[in-house]
Amino acid sequence: MDEEYKMVLVGVGGQGILTISDVIAIAAQKKGLHVLGSEVHGMAQKGGSVITNLKIGKKLYSPTIPIGSCKALVGLEENETLRYIKFLKPDGIVITSKTVLYPVGWKKDKSAADIAHEKIEENLEQFKVKIIRIDAEELALKAGLVLTQNIVLLGALSQIKDFPLSEEDLRSALKERVPSKYLNQNLRAFDLGIEAVKNRT
Amino acid sequence: MAKLSELTANEDKRVLCLGNEAIARGAIEAGVQVFAAYPGTPSSEISMALNAAAPELGFYAEWSTNEKVAMEVAFAASISGIRAMTACKHVGLNVAADVFYSFMYMGCKGGFVTVVGDDPHCFSSQNEQDSRWLGVSANFPIIEPSNPHEAKEFTKLAFEISEKFEIPMLLRSTTRISHARADVQFNKYESNFKDGEFEKTSRFKCLPAIARANHPKLLEKIEKIKEWIPESGLTVVEDCSDNKFGIITSGISYAYVKDALKELKLDVSILKLGMVSPLDEESIIKFSKDKENIIFIEEVDPYLEDRISALLIQNNLYPKIHGKCSGATKRYHELNYRIVAEALSKIIGGEIPSVAEIEEAVEGTKEFIPFRPPLFCAGCQHRAAFYELSKVVRKNNGIFSSDIGCYSLDPWVTDTIVCMGASIGMANGFARVIKDKPIFAIIGDSTFFHTGLPALANAVYHKANFNILILDNRMTAMTGFQPNPTESIPIEDVVKGMGVEYIVEFDPYDFENGKKTIEEALKHEGPTVIIMRKICANEWWRTQRRKGEKIEVYSIDPEICIACGTCIVQYQCPAISWSLDTNTKGKKYSVIDPSMCTGCSVCSQICPVKAISKVE
Repeated sequence: MDEEYKMVLVGVGGQGILTISDVIAIAAQKKGLHVLGSEVHGMAQKGGSVITNLKIGKKLYSPTIPIGSCKALVGLEENETLRYIKFLKPDGIVITSKTVLYPVGWKKDKSAADIAHEKIEENLEQFKVKIIRIDAEELALKAGLVLTQNIVLLGALSQIKDFPLSEEDLRSALKERVPSKYLNQNLRAFDLGIEAVKNRT
Repeated sequence: MAKLSELTANEDKRVLCLGNEAIARGAIEAGVQVFAAYPGTPSSEISMALNAAAPELGFYAEWSTNEKVAMEVAFAASISGIRAMTACKHVGLNVAADVFYSFMYMGCKGGFVTVVGDDPHCFSSQNEQDSRWLGVSANFPIIEPSNPHEAKEFTKLAFEISEKFEIPMLLRSTTRISHARADVQFNKYESNFKDGEFEKTSRFKCLPAIARANHPKLLEKIEKIKEWIPESGLTVVEDCSDNKFGIITSGISYAYVKDALKELKLDVSILKLGMVSPLDEESIIKFSKDKENIIFIEEVDPYLEDRISALLIQNNLYPKIHGKCSGATKRYHELNYRIVAEALSKIIGGEIPSVAEIEEAVEGTKEFIPFRPPLFCAGCQHRAAFYELSKVVRKNNGIFSSDIGCYSLDPWVTDTIVCMGASIGMANGFARVIKDKPIFAIIGDSTFFHTGLPALANAVYHKANFNILILDNRMTAMTGFQPNPTESIPIEDVVKGMGVEYIVEFDPYDFENGKKTIEEALKHEGPTVIIMRKICANEWWRTQRRKGEKIEVYSIDPEICIACGTCIVQYQCPAISWSLDTNTKGKKYSVIDPSMCTGCSVCSQICPVKAISKVE
């Protein structure tokens, strides 16, 4: 792998960003790689837009990622993906859920959601990076637990070229991190995420 | 977050943890025996970790009522020979300032460490205070780690330095260290917990004659530390033997410098200071002596720049200085490696990849990116209470002096938010000059016990006519649901004991009653106290879900809903949004997300057409 692999995980507070960031970090550590990330707590977190930076590599210094510099973006909410897509390098890749969580900024204008929704693909494409859009909500429901949308995307992430962790690395970290009660649904969600990417290409 | 078992395990292991947890582990490895703190982002996880570990490892930890009390608890332990620590956010250090300015004169016995978490960029704070100034003006030796691993090692080292020189230490972290997540090497440790012994000596009595004698002794210690730093390993020189440029930096800024130089493909000499006060003068002079240019990279204030520039002049060294003075970096907000690379490229040269195309795309799409600020949670009791208050007294018809906590997020009435406890303090002043409007001080339970009490005593004593709305959600929610004295001290007893005559309590989920209670209080001469009491909806909801308890949610009838926006636009519950489809009349309607609804029922009470009801 390169000296370091930079990625961002984005969404809305409460969507399980920290969980997948944990799983990736556990997997990297097991592989003997270092991990350095940065997250936001406190006031900044409450139902607001959330971004977590994550670097994996052999020698890591700063915990944040400036615009135009990371290889992968995992987005748990489509509009948040659009907000943070600028952090990707031109050869970067987006894995985003099609999920939309209604932000307060739209509340006054009833049609804002429709317009944004119609334009989302076009808007994302302006950034000229590779984009994989996944119906994570549908797949999570199929896996038996709507809260596993984050894990669906994690499965998809494992299929990206250059990503330094394999399917197996992530699966074994997943087993460590998620509650055993819900492990089966999580593993199923993970596999559905993998399939979603494979069927696409 | 690291598991408690990992944080306490007495073994050599690499553990994934937050910078704050690394600091807590450093304290555990150093054998901290007394820890006291008041929560505050970005420092809270240090205290959460140590409070969780304390019962298992057999040391004492507490959530104190405020930072001053916390520091006093730790101070007394330290001068009784016990290793003690406190942690706070930058503004919390101001609350404790009265303690440490004198404490520094006396010196400590058991190792004493204060951890301060600064918040460049105001992620969760009211200002960007650079606590290095506060530390240096009190003569605190200050050490600054540049990553989570150093945060742990420096915490351990701080205890050693503190005992070696009998001086309290300040460890300065920033949000990007405290909330960084990394794999950190944990080490085996030995803790020798013991009973405290207090030696009766005059040095702990801060009377004028004694203080006068203690001050030069403190300055002597600082001189000794200054001489010792070069052998401490705290100063790191990365010399590339080119004398044209040299970078002086510390803390997180060092990490940005390293990545920036990599991006620019440049090799430049770096002086990294682990201790930023006193300054390692010997190493700084040696480093700067032959350099034509010295570049300072640091966040927010030009602290190193100002102090070191003076030092260089005093030593007849005149390199060209680049930093805040030359506009290389700004005096506000946080840095990242691109900002640092841009600054360095202008001084030294080197190319950074252009982001012009990306910026163009941002420009073309930004109108579609919705505003998503932090909000009151679904079911939040504060939202209900503020909504009721705003219906009784409109924003323009009253003065609303609020305070620090989740309730700072109020979108309707709040006029002022300053610092902990200022709600009641300032209402005392408003009451003297604003005669034509009712005045409200709005304060949470934790903040009330933190610094609200003296301000309330002032109000009663001086018969100030205003209303105090105490939002008692049974915990310190904003910083992570910490416990506070409201658990065992009834607020109504406290205010009654202080002499408040009119005290009422209400449940904010009962909309009409909430309004009536506030209306009634306005008829009475102040200070009146109105207590809103309801457990934090977020914590309640999470507990219910963990226990597998059913939550009775509400739903909206699409055919009755007239899309007036009362629940969405006015009440702003995040669980409610506009439908994507339309009802049989071809109109949009509002929808409740059942996975977010906590069943507080307030929307059903305020809906003008009664379209909202409990799901049976």
